[in-house]
Amino acid sequence: MRPPRSGVAAFFGSRMLRLAIAALAALAWPAHAQLDAKQMASAREKAQVCFACHGPDGNSQNPDYPILAGQSWRYIYIELRDFKEGRRSDPHLSPMVANLSNEEMIELGNFFAAQKPLPIKFQADSAKVEAGRKTSDAVLCPMCHLGGFVGQNEIPRVAGQYPQYIKKQLLDFKAKRRTNDAGNMTSVASTLSEQDIENLSQYIANL
Amino acid sequence: MASHIRKVLAVAFALGVGFAASVTAQETGTATTTAAPMSSDLIPVSQAMLDGAAADAKNWIHPNGSYDNARFHAGNQINTANVAKLKPAFVFQTAVLESMETAPIVVNGVMFLTTSFNHVYAINAATGEEYWHYKQKLGPIVTVCCGNNNRGVAVSEGKLFMGTIDAKLVALDAKTGKLLWEAQIADPNLGYSETMAPAYVDGKVIIGTNGGEYGIRGFVKAYDANDGKLLWTFYTIPDKGQEGVWAVNDATGRDMHRDIAKEKADLGKDSSFWQRLGGGVWMTPAIDKKTRTVFFVVGNPSPDLYGAVRPGDNLYTDSIVAIDLDKGTYKWHFQYVSHDVWDLDAVSPPILTQAKDKSGKMVDVVIHGGKTGHIYVHERETGKLIRFSEAMIPQENMWVLPTKDGARMLPGANGGVEWSPMAINPKLHLAYAANLHQPMTYHVEEVPYPGGKLWLGGAFKTIPSEEQWGRLVAVNMDTGKVAWGAKTPQPLIGGVLATAGNLVFNGEANGWFKAFDAATGKELWKYNCGAGVNAPAVSYMVGGKQYIAVAAGGNNQIDAKRGNSVFVFALP
Repeated sequence: MRPPRSGVAAFFGSRMLRLAIAALAALAWPAHAQLDAKQMASAREKAQVCFACHGPDGNSQNPDYPILAGQSWRYIYIELRDFKEGRRSDPHLSPMVANLSNEEMIELGNFFAAQKPLPIKFQADSAKVEAGRKTSDAVLCPMCHLGGFVGQNEIPRVAGQYPQYIKKQLLDFKAKRRTNDAGNMTSVASTLSEQDIENLSQYIANL
Repeated sequence: MASHIRKVLAVAFALGVGFAASVTAQETGTATTTAAPMSSDLIPVSQAMLDGAAADAKNWIHPNGSYDNARFHAGNQINTANVAKLKPAFVFQTAVLESMETAPIVVNGVMFLTTSFNHVYAINAATGEEYWHYKQKLGPIVTVCCGNNNRGVAVSEGKLFMGTIDAKLVALDAKTGKLLWEAQIADPNLGYSETMAPAYVDGKVIIGTNGGEYGIRGFVKAYDANDGKLLWTFYTIPDKGQEGVWAVNDATGRDMHRDIAKEKADLGKDSSFWQRLGGGVWMTPAIDKKTRTVFFVVGNPSPDLYGAVRPGDNLYTDSIVAIDLDKGTYKWHFQYVSHDVWDLDAVSPPILTQAKDKSGKMVDVVIHGGKTGHIYVHERETGKLIRFSEAMIPQENMWVLPTKDGARMLPGANGGVEWSPMAINPKLHLAYAANLHQPMTYHVEEVPYPGGKLWLGGAFKTIPSEEQWGRLVAVNMDTGKVAWGAKTPQPLIGGVLATAGNLVFNGEANGWFKAFDAATGKELWKYNCGAGVNAPAVSYMVGGKQYIAVAAGGNNQIDAKRGNSVFVFALP
């Protein structure tokens, strides 16, 4: 007998996802332009202020702050815009993005997307990793985040992210403290237990 | 269209495949064949030619054949007696392997066709030889629901006009394909995009907008064809009065199960939502030059399924609307579904024709094929509903409200009749509509405005255990009765062509392109194009010979196999 589909799976096994994917595919196309050396230097200058928390070139050294290196430009852009326009908030970040223009947010997105993510120092619990893998398959995470959680377009890369950051985001979605996801992740997280979330964060961080 | 949305097919692996295909598509489209010099046959299209297009068998100079949107071609060289002999004359391959919804325009033997990602080609309409290839340089932000589609150009006086997926209107030199001007219509960051073919009339270019899945405020705008200057804007969501009349029933008299007392109380608390209420206009309007009136239908409210944040009738969503051609001012509207929470909106372009009124007198009408599965016949002057047709596809459980776990209702959210333009045969008084049957469950989720991200407020789910199919249906406009129906193995998206040869042409997602007897629905001819035929066919003549052309590029919404070609057929 097949296990019942979770609310997450049901929500995502829908045309909504197709739509979203179609939309995102479109979004990524034109702006994937590589920055040339001069543009990269200028972007790096703007990104300096981010390095204080997110680490050099976006390779965060502090597990409370996410790694931005290698993240999709479109996701970074959309999140910055949501911080600026109040759909997502953080006492540290919100004031820092308040004066960014759309062009600057795109530039920062392209800068961090072009950086190489470095592996985190992390000792995974193999039982939790395996349980997390099963949960990930059951709730269809890879449908949006793709296999290996490498992300695509508006959907973030989460592979190799700090487990405590992943856990915090999932708990925030579950508790609807974070609601800038257009209903997708809040719906997914609503059916996850705290143990599921712990397992998932171990599994994904270990990728 | 929200329609447009009309999205679908929901199995996990299919999704994965669909995405991969999209990625591939993005990487193609840069190469071109060596262009030949433009044919000296190309002539500027005058206003008189545009006005007389319905009787002009030589040219196809409106996306839907004429200002009436009738998609009825005057040529009868290809007819019921000889269509069985129809053969491909040539196949033109574009460089873009992605969903094709284009209605090619043909001017004196020169064809202008478009692809996804806003490429335009000018080719010889009798041989397929390429004259030029234009690639729109898209901006960094493109936000589209339902594919990177384009449905074609408008043409006039040596210019072509195209809407772009990054929400611009561009004018090209028809002879060279060079950009003449471009105008930013709206902000793609907020979910605005353009896929429709605009309409050209009397120096104006008229265009609507996509975005009903993103919380936009819809509109129809008119631009000066010479320089791209904005002339007027009609917002499909009025500043005031969008709560309407608190309609209890839909246009066919069925209860929509609204909690009107609660809606009224909610409206008192917050009425600011109208700025994000959706109301896209996806398809080319019909234009009545006599009365200087523009007719179009308006898509779903935003968010599609979650109605609690938008109390009221949500005017003019899910409506047919008539406005003044010169000033863009309101004339009348008729709403089919008030406070829609199913995305069963109005998308397929209206057609101007004549039909009998209730007393049997032949009158000017405007008709629309709805996602509900009905064809609606209205008095053209007032919008008053004369009749609605029998349901063309199964309807069940209407109008059950969406739930968190999903409520099953037919039709599914793609229709009925999606964006696919209908055709008519004015002699037979029949209207031909391409329908879908996709059983779905409707799910609602409480979701705040996500700032230009896809905002459905829930989900539409196909039901894997239930069969999906399509049906090409002929409806008698004088009675509303179904004259004939041809069931197809897959849902139909693309649109219909009717001709004076008493033929009806329609394509299918499995690659078949077919001709039917217009009076009886008997299948007379078919050809498999090898990729989904999900675009409306056109017809024209070159050197005294009639041709039928149709794009076979597949479709994003129903995930029909992608292709990159326009097939052109003629008698041997």
